[in-house]
Amino acid sequence: MSPRADPNDLLQGTLAILILKALLPGPAHGYGIARWIEDTTEDVLRVEEGSLYPALRRLEDRRWVSSEWGLSDNNRRARFYSITAAGRKHLRNEATVWLRYSQAVTRVLRTAPAIG
Amino acid sequence: MSGFPRWRRYIRLVRPDVPADVDEELAFHLEMRVERNIALGMTREAARSEAIERFGDLTHFREQLVKHDVRRQSNDERTEYLRDLAQDLRFGFRALRRAPGFAAATILTLSLCTGANAAIFSVVDAVVLRPLPYSRPEQLVSLGTGAAGEFLALRERLRSFSQLAAWVEQTHPIDDGQEALRVEGAAVTTNLLPMLGVTPQLGRGFLREEGQPGRNNVLLISDAIWQTHFGGTRDIVGRRILVEGTPHTIVGVMPREFHFPAATTQYWQPGSFNPSNVGATWGVWDKNFIGRVAPGVSVERARREVRDVWPTLRTLNPLWDPGPDYRRDVNPQPLQTSVVGPTGRLLWILFGCVVLVLLIGCVNVANLLLARATARERELTVRAALGGGRGRLLRQLLTESLLLSTTGSALGIGFSVFVVRWLLTELPPGIPRAEEIRVNGTVLLFTAAVALATGVLFGIVPALRATRSNVRSSAVGGGRRTSRDTQHHRISGVLVAAEVAFAVLLVVAATLLVRSFSALRTVRLGFDTDHIIAARITPPNRGYHDTSRVTALYEGLRSRLSALPGVTSVAVTDKLPIAQVVYGAAFRVQGQYEDAKHNLPSIGHLQDVTPEYLRTMGIPLLRGRGFTDADRGGEPLVAIVSESVARRYWPGEDALGKRVAPPWDSPWMTIVGVVPDTRQDSLRDTSRTSVYVPWAQSTLRYTSEMWVVVRTKREPAPFATALRSAVRDIDRTVAVSDVRTMEAVVSDSVRKARFTMLLVAAFAAAALLLGSIGIYGVMSYLVGQRTQEMGIRIALGSTAGGVIGLVVGRAIRLASLGAVIGLAAALITTRWLGALLYGVSALDPVTFIATALLFLLVAAAASYGPAWRATRVDPVRALRAE
Repeated sequence: MSPRADPNDLLQGTLAILILKALLPGPAHGYGIARWIEDTTEDVLRVEEGSLYPALRRLEDRRWVSSEWGLSDNNRRARFYSITAAGRKHLRNEATVWLRYSQAVTRVLRTAPAIG
Repeated sequence: MSGFPRWRRYIRLVRPDVPADVDEELAFHLEMRVERNIALGMTREAARSEAIERFGDLTHFREQLVKHDVRRQSNDERTEYLRDLAQDLRFGFRALRRAPGFAAATILTLSLCTGANAAIFSVVDAVVLRPLPYSRPEQLVSLGTGAAGEFLALRERLRSFSQLAAWVEQTHPIDDGQEALRVEGAAVTTNLLPMLGVTPQLGRGFLREEGQPGRNNVLLISDAIWQTHFGGTRDIVGRRILVEGTPHTIVGVMPREFHFPAATTQYWQPGSFNPSNVGATWGVWDKNFIGRVAPGVSVERARREVRDVWPTLRTLNPLWDPGPDYRRDVNPQPLQTSVVGPTGRLLWILFGCVVLVLLIGCVNVANLLLARATARERELTVRAALGGGRGRLLRQLLTESLLLSTTGSALGIGFSVFVVRWLLTELPPGIPRAEEIRVNGTVLLFTAAVALATGVLFGIVPALRATRSNVRSSAVGGGRRTSRDTQHHRISGVLVAAEVAFAVLLVVAATLLVRSFSALRTVRLGFDTDHIIAARITPPNRGYHDTSRVTALYEGLRSRLSALPGVTSVAVTDKLPIAQVVYGAAFRVQGQYEDAKHNLPSIGHLQDVTPEYLRTMGIPLLRGRGFTDADRGGEPLVAIVSESVARRYWPGEDALGKRVAPPWDSPWMTIVGVVPDTRQDSLRDTSRTSVYVPWAQSTLRYTSEMWVVVRTKREPAPFATALRSAVRDIDRTVAVSDVRTMEAVVSDSVRKARFTMLLVAAFAAAALLLGSIGIYGVMSYLVGQRTQEMGIRIALGSTAGGVIGLVVGRAIRLASLGAVIGLAAALITTRWLGALLYGVSALDPVTFIATALLFLLVAAAASYGPAWRATRVDPVRALRAE
């Protein structure tokens, strides 16, 4: 099943990709994911941080992400999420589709006459 | 485990707190963000509000997460439960496959026991438990029996009933122009069927005005007679048939499942009351009253009202004063209770017996499981050591026993279908609602409950014992000769004693019933049963109301049948012994009880017979003479009495020449002969006093229905056809029914007793068999367990006899304990057999003692094999095994 099954919410799909990508280097808690998105996109894609959690639950339900409680760097109990094998596979597929799509849009926008 | 968050397994130990977890996760996020904001140089205040703003609608997200996590958690639990179950089942199957003998023995025992239970339960359910198939059946009350006048008076006075109806059973010859049939039916008040909430499947019900005298020549017929006799065609409505020779119109067909008041009822006719006929209204106490309790009134209150009101009707009877005890004994009952009648108790007794068999079966299985648990001790110990908690192990063992009980029950249901089929053919007549008996959803539910109950019952003790396993003792001691074993032996002993107790109880009950039945069958009837065939002859009222016509019919019948080759003699009588209810008759005795106002002696029965009757029935003449053709109307009136009449009224005197007479002013009849007493009403009948009068002189005849009795030289059954056609040749409007040999009449009369006896005896045999298997099993097991002990004993010089005595002695001790308990239970419970017993006391000492001895014998026999094996133990090898 692909997030495109939910096509009226582009952001949901985007968010899923961002989260999965954020988890690629290793397990992270929700705040860590938020920080990663913030740093990586230089705060351009500013998501409502609260919406990360329902998104994580959905990814967990689809078995793309798993979670367990652990200790954070500052020794506090936090829930850590990690990407599963299925999650990696899904991310790969989505990334391909996404890149092709954004290249196409970029190409369209670059054709003359240029905007502004 | 994949896809399953690991942490859940630990959090499960405490009841997981979903909201707290969500709060903790979100709080962590916000705090981290606040700390970072502060590190970036914000004030704590600004840092907080920035963090919250970045987060978005906190309440909304929190709610969403809690809802999600709660749902997921319950899903997880279910999944885990199912996974464990699947695992248990897999283990169970594997374990049973490794022990196919054990599994087969257990499942076979259980399926037979459960099947028998399901079968008997299906009878109990159909007859006793299932509500009657009427609307709001719980509101229906059977008030009792009385006269039409009482019914009308009660209907006026009773306040607790919304409706009152009456019915009376009647039997008439009906004739559709093809064949005359004697058919059982009922006259009912026109409101009865609407009151029950039943409407015809075809045609219409009775109209109100059809309850008027002269308007009631309409009939509703049963589905059964519609199908078998009228071809089941829809044009039956409006058809006219003859009842007692008078035309009646069929107005409808009742539904197939409608059987009121009995399964044999084939037609219904509106009953009419004619209050101007005082004699019929107040003198005939044969109507049955039923009522529907008004809404909001309890059945109990309605019953009380009937008990209060009915006796006050004493003054209304215009014919006579029924006395101060009038209707003091009325006992209105829920219709269901009165329909089921004494059959209910019989069925509960049978059900109790079959439950005992099931319990014995369970005990046997429990014993097998105990023995098996010991054999599997290592396996269980290992699993416990590997971290399977006690609860988990317990669950696994119970799953195993439930697997056994469910498989057994599933097979049992199949078995019960056959048993029910057999029961339906063997069921004695007169079991109410027998046509409703089948293995249905209720029976399946019951069986499922039995499966569950038995699975837990026989599984729980062995499972508890097995899981109490102490890892150290087993692993170190190899599971042998620890105190656990003694404990185990004690449990086995208790189980054996219990099953012997159950079996003793059943065998006592069965023995009492078998003895009753044999006493019943060897009763001296006073007449022959072999080479006699009889039939009931019912001429229609119309055309046969004058005696000469009736006489001509029977004369014709007699001459025709006598002419048949192989017929020795033919007689006609108004009552056939054992074939119908016989009512007592009052009598005057000259010189002793002459005045009708005095209490007249009630003579057992008065019977009209033709001269050949005594010879045909094989009743010998003790004194005097039999009747002859000369004893006819106009000649001096004569009578023959039975021995006990002679003895009671003329002790030490000759009864010949003495005179008796019916009450009121009937003329005296001179006694010309004395014959032995005969059983009349039933084999149990003890009122054996009889007065016979010549058919041709009878003044008491109020019915033209008669029996013809034929004595044959050969096997009598084949004469049935000739008998029927002889009647048809004389007059085809005369109905012939109940064509049976006397043997059949007698054996049919004890079918209920025979049925009960056979079932209980079968259960007792099963109990005996299961009990001996149980003793054998436990003894074999104990001997196996005590091989070393036996070896030591033999090594120390114990003789074979000593060892056998040891083992057999233990079995006998256990059986004695069980027998004592079983006999005590029997002392209390056999009195419930009550009316089922005949010629033997419910506490018959011979039966009790013999049963106890039987079980000691069984215990000795069943333990002898294992004991003998014990003597073969090689002491050296036994000790080396240590």
